[in-house]
Amino acid sequence: MTNDRERTAEHGEDDGERMPMAEQWRNLVTAALLGTDRRDPPDAEGPLAELVADTARAAPSERMLAQVAACTAIRRAAILPGPAVALTSAPDTDQRRECVPAATERWHHITSSWPVLEDEWMLTLIVNRWRLAAELVPVALQRHRSDPVRHARVRAAAGPAADWLIEQLPDLACTKQGVVDSEAIGELIELPIPPELLDLLHASGKQVGATVGAAIEQGRFAHAHRAVLVNLIARVAPAGLPDLIDALDGVDPHSSGAGLASVLADLALTRQRMLDELSV
Amino acid sequence: MVGVVSARWSVEQVESVAPSPAAITNAQPLSTPTRWAGLGADERVVWGSCKGSGAEPYDTAVDHVTVGFRCTCPSRKTPCKHALALLLMWAQGQVPDGVPTARVEAWIGRRLAKQQGAGAPDASNADAEPDADPGPAGTADTGAGAAADVAPSPGGDGGAIDDEPPPPAPPPSDEERDAARDERIARMLAGLTELDRWLDDRIRTGLADPALARYATWDHLAARLVDAQAGSLANRIRRLAGLVGASADWHDDVLAELGILHLLSQAGRRIGQLPNSLADSVATTVGWQVRQADVLGGVPDTDDWVVAGRSDVREDRIEVRRHWLRGTTSGRWALLLSFAAYQQSLDTSLDVGTSIRADLHRYPGPALRALAGRRHAEPVVARPPTQTVAEACDEIGRMIVAEPWLERVPTTVTAALARSGDRWLLTDHEASIPLLDSPRRMQAGSGLATLLAVTGGRPAELTIEWTPHGVTPLSLHLPDRTIDIGPRADSSFVGAA
Repeated sequence: MTNDRERTAEHGEDDGERMPMAEQWRNLVTAALLGTDRRDPPDAEGPLAELVADTARAAPSERMLAQVAACTAIRRAAILPGPAVALTSAPDTDQRRECVPAATERWHHITSSWPVLEDEWMLTLIVNRWRLAAELVPVALQRHRSDPVRHARVRAAAGPAADWLIEQLPDLACTKQGVVDSEAIGELIELPIPPELLDLLHASGKQVGATVGAAIEQGRFAHAHRAVLVNLIARVAPAGLPDLIDALDGVDPHSSGAGLASVLADLALTRQRMLDELSV
Repeated sequence: MVGVVSARWSVEQVESVAPSPAAITNAQPLSTPTRWAGLGADERVVWGSCKGSGAEPYDTAVDHVTVGFRCTCPSRKTPCKHALALLLMWAQGQVPDGVPTARVEAWIGRRLAKQQGAGAPDASNADAEPDADPGPAGTADTGAGAAADVAPSPGGDGGAIDDEPPPPAPPPSDEERDAARDERIARMLAGLTELDRWLDDRIRTGLADPALARYATWDHLAARLVDAQAGSLANRIRRLAGLVGASADWHDDVLAELGILHLLSQAGRRIGQLPNSLADSVATTVGWQVRQADVLGGVPDTDDWVVAGRSDVREDRIEVRRHWLRGTTSGRWALLLSFAAYQQSLDTSLDVGTSIRADLHRYPGPALRALAGRRHAEPVVARPPTQTVAEACDEIGRMIVAEPWLERVPTTVTAALARSGDRWLLTDHEASIPLLDSPRRMQAGSGLATLLAVTGGRPAELTIEWTPHGVTPLSLHLPDRTIDIGPRADSSFVGAA
């Protein structure tokens, strides 16, 4: 594609014999590499010659600088686009609905604040037949490049777009070769939870909330227990989350564990909203 | 030299004239004679030259009788750390008696003449150096105006040390302003002459000269340009140094930038002969500083401004955020800048993909740069009109014709991300334009990877930023929303990116 101005800039105004601007520039670069102490600057031609004609410019370096300045200004102003390029073939169509923007936002929040929920987010998305939002595909693939199971899970969630993108940007491929166990892709990993809390995994939300809330308020659970409580809340039955959130919100704000309760309530609320956004 | 004699100051008296305790802390390392040359003092003035961060030593003098300070450093604080260091050394008996240099003598003479003209000596610092004149720090881009500092005084009336503080110094007269401006112009012209001499050396010795690979080759010139009040050119020189060896065709890039610097240097030296608008553009690009208050005092450009794109770029130790706005009615582009040093925050008040009815105040000349004024309404979702690649190139060309030294120009385009060999381009069915990033640098978290993933290689509406080395997509305008894919500041550097 060219237009009149570009044609003029690159090839001279009207005269096929005049040196094209591109060639003139190449000659200037060649002279500039050696320096005018060793090579005279090329002669300017056509409009460029008129532009830099100045008897005061006696020194070769001055004439050269004037040509370089004029040539650069002309070339930049007459910006020349290149020829059209064939479009990249698009990825195969994926019939699944793309996850809603709120879910996309939630993924960002989870990966920055509650990574313990990320596996469940991705699995729920797959199970409920959502498609990973396109803008998350490169970030998620990059994030799990060295983890074959999670990388495979992202590819399953993204569908054909993931393989297409890896083809375009090979850096997004998994760094570890080998066959991935398909069962592992569909399973949540077990999180370490102490035996005395294991029963709570299957208890009602009210019971979990009452137990955890009271223990925090009485100081039996403190920040030292944060990691196991996070694991517990990441795995308790989803139906119990509303009652658990209520119980954690009800912890005496003056108690020493109020901060911990608030943090755990945020985790529970994040998980509840995540599951709502990814529901069928 | 004069009839007024002051006793040597105590260290406490020196501390009392410091603009802040930190100023004394900063001055202390300099208060050693080994950092100075040409030290001397007499019954009226103490003087010396301190090696600073600039290429030239800073000439410093202090009138210790009627209390006034002079220093050629770029600091806008009065007294600066050099003046304080000089006084500290004098207070500690480390400055020998001597005869003032001609320059110091002339300065004191001017002060005396003014005081006699005013009828009585006072502690005014009306003859503070032009360095302390209004103007933004750093480059013309920074735009932070500042009023001339007023000298504090340890003493007062008539310069006696332990008297009451003097009344505030009167604002400089028109003549004084003109004199300061003339001196600044002279300094800038000298800097431009030196720049052209340096450019000439580069062209004579050639781009294959190993000196180009040495940072000092560029840094010395940049320091001299800072001294010459041409901060924008100094920044440009430092950016240019980064191009050496940066790509296979770096000789092309460096030569082109040398040409633009020559153009600016020639234009700057003939600024009086240029049309007003062009002269304004040259002055701003060279580094002539315009006070924000003056810009905000101009006629506002009121429009529905679409926030079309954003990009963050680290320049030296400052993160620069550019917001590109397009006037819905005028079709003109405008640039709003914000700056953040380490752990400072960038402007987050503008959302890409929204439009806001507001006043913008443009800098002098055909400048894209503006300051935001009054907002008349809440932002609404919007996107700029788009065009073909060829039309976008025409629009870029029109802006460069007006200001050939522009380093970034925005436009919108409907195009697809595609690859040709090992280069990525934006293409439509007629034309293409290369991207700034090479595939090597197209990282997963980058805006380009997001663009590729979201469009699947199909054409999309984009706001892009042109540079002489390629374009950078800044935002992807989808039918229902806009995704901001512009380069983003490192969140470990800025407070809120």
